[in-house]
Amino acid sequence: MTDQDVTRVNSRLSWRRRSGWALGLSLAIVLVWLVWIDYQVRRDFAALQWALPARIYARPAELYTGAHLSATELTDYLQRLGYRQVDAVAGPGEYQTQGQTLRLQTRGFQFWDGSEPGVYAQVAFNGSRIGSVRAAPVADAGDRLDSAFDGELPLVRLEPVEIAQINPDTGEDRLPVTLAQVPESLVHAIIAVEDQRFYQHWGIDPKGILRALWVNLRRGEVAQGGSTLTQQLVKNLYLTQDRTLARKIEEAVMALALELHFSKDEILAAYLNEVFLGQDGNRAIHGFTLAAQFYFARPLAELSLAELALLAGLPRGASFYNPRRNTERALSRRNTVLLSMFDQGYISEAEYDTARLAELRTSTQPARRNRAYPAFMDLVRLDLARDYDAQALRSEGLRIFTTLDLRVQEAMDAVLEQAVAAVEMPSDNGAPLQAAMVITDSNAGEVRALAGSRRPGAVGFNRALDAMRPIGSLVKPAVYLAALESGNYSLASVLSDRPVELMTDDGQRWAPRNYDDQMFGDVYLHEALERSLNLATVDLGIKIGVDTVVDMLTKLGHSRPIPEYLSLLLGAVDMAPLEVARFYQTLASNGFHSPLRSVEAVTTGQGARLQRYGFETEQVADATSVFLLEQALQNVFERGTARMVAGSLADNLPLAGKTGTTNDFRDSWFAGYGDDLTGVVWLGHDDNRSTGLTGSTGALRVWTAVMKQLDIQPRQTRAPEDVVWGEVPAQAAVLPTAEDCRDTRLLPFRAGELPVAVTECLSNNSLLERVFDQIRSLNQ
Amino acid sequence: MRVQGLRVQGFFITLSLLSACASYIPVNEQPAPVERSEPDVIVAPAVVGPPMPGARRPAASEPLSAPSASAPRQDPSPATAASTLLASVDAAIAAGDLERAAAVSERALRINPRDAMVWYRLASIRYQQQHYADARGLATRALSHAGPDTTLRLQINDLLARLNSL
Repeated sequence: MTDQDVTRVNSRLSWRRRSGWALGLSLAIVLVWLVWIDYQVRRDFAALQWALPARIYARPAELYTGAHLSATELTDYLQRLGYRQVDAVAGPGEYQTQGQTLRLQTRGFQFWDGSEPGVYAQVAFNGSRIGSVRAAPVADAGDRLDSAFDGELPLVRLEPVEIAQINPDTGEDRLPVTLAQVPESLVHAIIAVEDQRFYQHWGIDPKGILRALWVNLRRGEVAQGGSTLTQQLVKNLYLTQDRTLARKIEEAVMALALELHFSKDEILAAYLNEVFLGQDGNRAIHGFTLAAQFYFARPLAELSLAELALLAGLPRGASFYNPRRNTERALSRRNTVLLSMFDQGYISEAEYDTARLAELRTSTQPARRNRAYPAFMDLVRLDLARDYDAQALRSEGLRIFTTLDLRVQEAMDAVLEQAVAAVEMPSDNGAPLQAAMVITDSNAGEVRALAGSRRPGAVGFNRALDAMRPIGSLVKPAVYLAALESGNYSLASVLSDRPVELMTDDGQRWAPRNYDDQMFGDVYLHEALERSLNLATVDLGIKIGVDTVVDMLTKLGHSRPIPEYLSLLLGAVDMAPLEVARFYQTLASNGFHSPLRSVEAVTTGQGARLQRYGFETEQVADATSVFLLEQALQNVFERGTARMVAGSLADNLPLAGKTGTTNDFRDSWFAGYGDDLTGVVWLGHDDNRSTGLTGSTGALRVWTAVMKQLDIQPRQTRAPEDVVWGEVPAQAAVLPTAEDCRDTRLLPFRAGELPVAVTECLSNNSLLERVFDQIRSLNQ
Repeated sequence: MRVQGLRVQGFFITLSLLSACASYIPVNEQPAPVERSEPDVIVAPAVVGPPMPGARRPAASEPLSAPSASAPRQDPSPATAASTLLASVDAAIAAGDLERAAAVSERALRINPRDAMVWYRLASIRYQQQHYADARGLATRALSHAGPDTTLRLQINDLLARLNSL
């Protein structure tokens, strides 16, 4: 052997050795990679947890005799819950109407205070209220006679309407369920069309690929896919959508690993929850449960075979087969799915024929979940931020139960813009008059509806929360309440409505005027409030002290510092409409302050209670003083600054309220309350221009339009025990004469505080005389 | 005209009351000329304001839990709704879930915000939970709605006394 030969042999040997090494090394790398993938798949899949959005619910409707809910309102509510109108109710989520009665089968719901069972009920209406609620056994629900509804149902709570959600950063939304909660037909449909041999293969299915090829060639369309459900799941969970060979190999290996460690049911359940099925703005619809809600507004369990087949066809191309946009394609895809089901024996020919011919009825596209009721949602976010960080809200699938009343919010949204347009003065620079409105309940401080703009649904500057504007005469009830609380004043105290000139603390001269520059001389305290007289109010305020008024505003619920200027007496204090609502809500609940709330409870996605925000109430003003104040505030409608709407609210009076106007007509306010609701309206321009409107000509009219729509309930305040009634001369006089006592007015007083005017009139025994006078005048 | 007739009649009754009682008119004895466009299905819990002629409100004097004879004709079923909820309150207390009991009481108060008994129940629940400030506010509220119900007033005052002695 020559040296050359030796070298050649050596080089051959070293090549072999090197390639041996290389092979070994590659194998080792592949092995490590396999182990790593196996480890990764096992770890990630076992801990599979999706980031779930927080879901926000409106207050659930309650059905009971006397509930303020008309047939139309209930029907609207049921439609928002995705209930279907049918000829004969046969299952949950269905209703039928017949004249003034409505039958429905509810779905039941897991509330924070326990679970509400599904019931089959018949609701009879009596105008705008529920006349009766009767039950029948759910078990054999179907077409039945009236007599079957013999059981009285005292109370039915419907499911709450989901109004909004706070989405994870990924934008993915889903409603994960277990396999047991998924209808069998859906599973069959998916297996038939996506992966026939799902229960036989090991994660990849070479036979399946060949058969899919054959079927597709034969039908001339892509009817079946070659990749298994396991592969699709892997691709969705772990991989990008690249279609390179390397990706395909990785996918196959991962699928094998997944099948090695997890059961078919686990894999199938994950697939059903994971798969992408549609897009709603920036919200991605994942999983079949949510898809059922999204396309049909109903739970999966309520869908027909045809509807399930439609959903089963979507994984192939959720946008391409979108049933709302591409109806024809979606229908043909659905029928392909149905045909596969029939071919494989999952459904009978009859079922196939019925489903194939079924009309496609998707629900109307729901309002974008992240855009509904933006003004109210701002408040919800603020309230939640006290206890929850943003990340928890975006990922833990919390359920948030709010105080929003859809009946109230929808009625306000329906009326507000038109009502604002009706009072608006023609504008020269085009920027329209703006508005904000807050409606709370009158008893426990629950916010029922909110508008941050004249246009419902407008996003951006939320005037209800953030427009801090002087409140004008809306402050006056605080001045008068402070006076009544002091014990030195009654409704018949005589105030001076005459010009004054005062020196402010900083040495400025201040000469307040009445709105129309009229002056009334001696006036009763109640009149001064009813007619919103500035000079008489200043007279009173100076006597009791501005600091007393500041204290009263604080007690009534105002939480920010208030400057102690004389001009405070006429409303030189800035408040947002929500703050005004807080103050008037305290008056509406007879001097009991409750913090305003927009959130009632928070639960986990499964309904376990995490947090509850219950009623809080604290007496901040004496009941008798508040009662007396309310008499004057009721008179605002009877004969004061709100009298022009008394006619249109005739069925709703007595109500209590107050108008407010600020300098140069920059702000037009009205705050008022009935027994059930308290509402505040603000009108103004964002650039602080004049609106040309007073409280009476602007905000009051808007308030009236909304409250009339809501059929606000009259005040029925019980007079505290120490209230007595007495007649005072109709015309205020410091020392009334017998002549004054001929024309009188009945007023309530705190016992022991009857003013001299009453005792004077009583002592000269004119009462009986006047009675006869009046009878005579009536008989004429 | 019917309305006018009622008003005049009401006016006479008011006047006779006026001359009889001179300076003190118990508001709960207001005459009951009711004239409203629709029957008032929720039982009117109390009487408002001055005994003026032509008042449109029925003169029921008791809260829903005890509908009085002067309540409107309809079956006073809100009481049944209320009693159903009170039964759930009892069940929740028996099960030791005081927060649920509180939630159900609040549900009852949303249906009838003037039911002094329910306010009192809620106050007692908060007391049991040792939320004393809440309990005090709620008990005071209960008292403000209790009207002439002396038994209930005694119970509420007893709770308030216990709260004040803390």
